[in-house]
Amino acid sequence: MENTLLIGLSRQVALARELDVIANNMANVNTNGFKARSSRFEEYLEPDASAETFPWPDRKLSFVIDAGSPIDLSDGAAEPTGNPLDVAIRGDAFFVVETPAGERYTRNGAFQVDPQGRLVTSDGFPVMGDGGAIQLEPGDTGIVVAGDGTISTDAGQRGRLALVRFDAPQMLSNMGANLFAAVEPAQQPLPAGEQARVAQGFIERSNVRAVYEMTRLMEVSRAYTRVASTLSSLTDLQRTAIRTLGEAA
Amino acid sequence: MRALYSAATGMMAQELNVQVISNNIANMRTTGYKRQQAHFQDLLYQTMRRAGAATSAQDTQTPSAIEIGSGVKAVSTARAMSQGNLTPTERDFDIAVRGEGFFQVRLPDGRAAYSRDGGFDLDAQGRLVTKDGYEVEPGIVIPQNVQSVSISASGVVEVTTPDAPEPQEVGRIQLTRFVNKVGLESIGDNLFLQTAASGEPVQGNPGEEGYGSLQQGYLEEANVNAVTEISALISAQRAYEMNSRVISAADQMLQAASQMFRG
Repeated sequence: MENTLLIGLSRQVALARELDVIANNMANVNTNGFKARSSRFEEYLEPDASAETFPWPDRKLSFVIDAGSPIDLSDGAAEPTGNPLDVAIRGDAFFVVETPAGERYTRNGAFQVDPQGRLVTSDGFPVMGDGGAIQLEPGDTGIVVAGDGTISTDAGQRGRLALVRFDAPQMLSNMGANLFAAVEPAQQPLPAGEQARVAQGFIERSNVRAVYEMTRLMEVSRAYTRVASTLSSLTDLQRTAIRTLGEAA
Repeated sequence: MRALYSAATGMMAQELNVQVISNNIANMRTTGYKRQQAHFQDLLYQTMRRAGAATSAQDTQTPSAIEIGSGVKAVSTARAMSQGNLTPTERDFDIAVRGEGFFQVRLPDGRAAYSRDGGFDLDAQGRLVTKDGYEVEPGIVIPQNVQSVSISASGVVEVTTPDAPEPQEVGRIQLTRFVNKVGLESIGDNLFLQTAASGEPVQGNPGEEGYGSLQQGYLEEANVNAVTEISALISAQRAYEMNSRVISAADQMLQAASQMFRG
């Protein structure tokens, strides 16, 4: 009978974890370049301690465990901002950012210029071009970012934004601050193909689908309550059994 | 339950978002105001299961990780330094900048401040001052008994008097620009201060490359777009509501858990 409790508990732990994922998605519903995560569960068969000598062998117990929280890599909506340093990627690509901890990848194209004239993220990390950080001169005006990421000003070309893609983007790891890291050595960035374009004056919004998250939220909340009430009635059952048997004795 | 705290960071972020939007809307008619926009970042992640972990001796591995985030944080309220519309005022000392530059203003404590608000006036000594009476740099003094004042696109201030009908130059308004004008510090009163992030001020004459030109008799409106702000407000409000729904769902689940074995 305790198995029922434990199986119910495994479901509740998984649901609580799914709620954490939903809460993080909802918290980041206005975070530029944010990629939503979903939850995936799998069945876990509890196989070992089974007695084969009974006429009916023990049935295997099936628990639920969480197997992954895959990243939804679809494009977020591109919001027009009119800011020449806002750049949105359309297609399968990431910007490359140089941080003290190494190369990081982001879809957040809200860039700025630092006092040295380098193109930087909101945290001041340089945005990499094909040949190192993108450097603007103090007198530069009329910044234009072409569809392929080439940055030019009235005084000429200033480099091209590095755009990379990954063969298995699900292996990317969230580092917070809108940055991804390639933790697996096998996951080396490849140059993004022709299909990836950038749009100047736009910002890529979060790709969290609010209605979908709300639906999942209700589902999770109801499922959790349902498991809780099942377990409750189970304990009621036990209590009644103990009482009845106790009276009989 | 982490969801409670993640959703709480979401509500705080949206509250800040609404504050920024409401300040933009409040300053819709403020001369030279530049709209702000809140930018957010996701917080740290906890990795429950690493992507690429071996799942057997046969070189199979997990294709994706379990990474649970812990919410959102605000990272900047950067200003959009785009050009605002120019409105005609027909006042001699209203000047709008078309382009990058800022007017330089001398604060009473001697520091230099920078502004896009060109609604100037004269003080008792005939000096060109802001609406707060702060002197515009470099100091320009308009003599008494002038008949007309003209300020050219390149900043040259010329006056005519009854004695001298030929225009006479009395000074030249200069503009200042910054490598990173988004990094300027706002101190209210339509004024900005230089910071380590903005870079050193670079002075030049209006009309030179990159400084922008002046337009006498016009003021620069705020670059706030009502439709954008209202739609941002609606989306911020909805996001706030949805985060509060997450909190109540987490609460319900905790309640269900705590009531499981009562009695």
